[in-house]
Amino acid sequence: MRTRTTKATQTDVPNKGANRSPIAAALMLVLIVPIVASGQSASGSSPQGRNWAEIPTLPDWSGVWELTFTPRTASGNPPELTPKAAAQSKAFLDGRARGENLQSDLANCVPPGLIGIMAQPYPIEFLFTPGKVTIAIETHSQMRRIFTDGRSHPEDPDLSWHGDSIGRWEGDTLVVDTIGLDPAAPLDDLTGPPGIRLSDKAHAVERIRMLDDALLRITTTIDDPETFLEPWTIVRSYQRHRDWDIREYICQQNNRDAADSEGRPGIRLD
Amino acid sequence: MTTTKTSCLALVATILVGASAAAHHSPVMFEFAQDKQKRIEGVIKEFQWTNPHTWIVLVVENEAGVTEEWGFEGMSPNYLGRHGWTKRTLEPGAKIAMGYAPLKDGRKGGFTMNVRLPDGTVLQELPPLGDPLPQDDR
Repeated sequence: MRTRTTKATQTDVPNKGANRSPIAAALMLVLIVPIVASGQSASGSSPQGRNWAEIPTLPDWSGVWELTFTPRTASGNPPELTPKAAAQSKAFLDGRARGENLQSDLANCVPPGLIGIMAQPYPIEFLFTPGKVTIAIETHSQMRRIFTDGRSHPEDPDLSWHGDSIGRWEGDTLVVDTIGLDPAAPLDDLTGPPGIRLSDKAHAVERIRMLDDALLRITTTIDDPETFLEPWTIVRSYQRHRDWDIREYICQQNNRDAADSEGRPGIRLD
Repeated sequence: MTTTKTSCLALVATILVGASAAAHHSPVMFEFAQDKQKRIEGVIKEFQWTNPHTWIVLVVENEAGVTEEWGFEGMSPNYLGRHGWTKRTLEPGAKIAMGYAPLKDGRKGGFTMNVRLPDGTVLQELPPLGDPLPQDDR
């Protein structure tokens, strides 16, 4: 594993240079530091990966990452709901008692929104290009784009499944800030109360970092005044697979499990 | 497969397929309880190597000696492909034995738990026993 100090300094160059001769190391400093420094002015002390020369200074998140551990809430409890969201959840569970809501929209191949899509049983992959971190998500063949070029959120973003995401590096941690989530997107998170949907006021902050060479941690805090009385924090950990590739996943290819409009399950045998 | 293993597998199946509900659907159509799981023998007619689930069409001879077609859902090619299966694992004409979680509605089908190939090899569809998603307490 390549380790880096969390606070970039003039010694904050890739460790692969550490075994070279002092002269070579000094040369590397001379060559690399101005490049790194050029990306520091706009966003504090950490390289932000805004040009090709900076990309190798970012953490090595290569390979793909599988959610191998049970997601949990940071508090150990589900979030406290507003009266409106609590009523929504109760109505959902009442329906389930009648045999409805046993399937979600996912059974009809509707992908989950931002919260659920990061907790699927198939892996994800991080791609670094200048000014952007792209997350390739195997489940439902989804793609998230996180802009790290220093832009702000649009004032009035179009609502979407993954929302509008901007990111910044704080040392080895990528901090992703997302707004503009479409309430129509299934929430689909195993740690949350069933049957709730986020509102268009929801604001998510994800802190993504490697705990060690094989484990990636994403801590997601969601603030939504229409849904939660206090921010809800989910902790998810992913195991690295260096020898896996992301595969295609087209849910409509052979979906035999479509549910009806009330979420009653079905299965087609022919 | 021993009873103990069957029991463990049923537990794992419930947990794993439950977790997989996040990807596609809840396992509510199938009876995963250990004492409800069944075993069947037949000849492969078709192995559909597709998302979101694989599908086996199995030709089975019933007690009256009449052949009938059964349908079995299985884990996805994305999952199975990372655990030793390929699209050619079940060739048409192969005579197999299968452990499965039956459909609750009584129709001829279920969810494949494991398969014994003609050469005696037993392939699991679900993860190694005792290894559902562990906790990361760090």
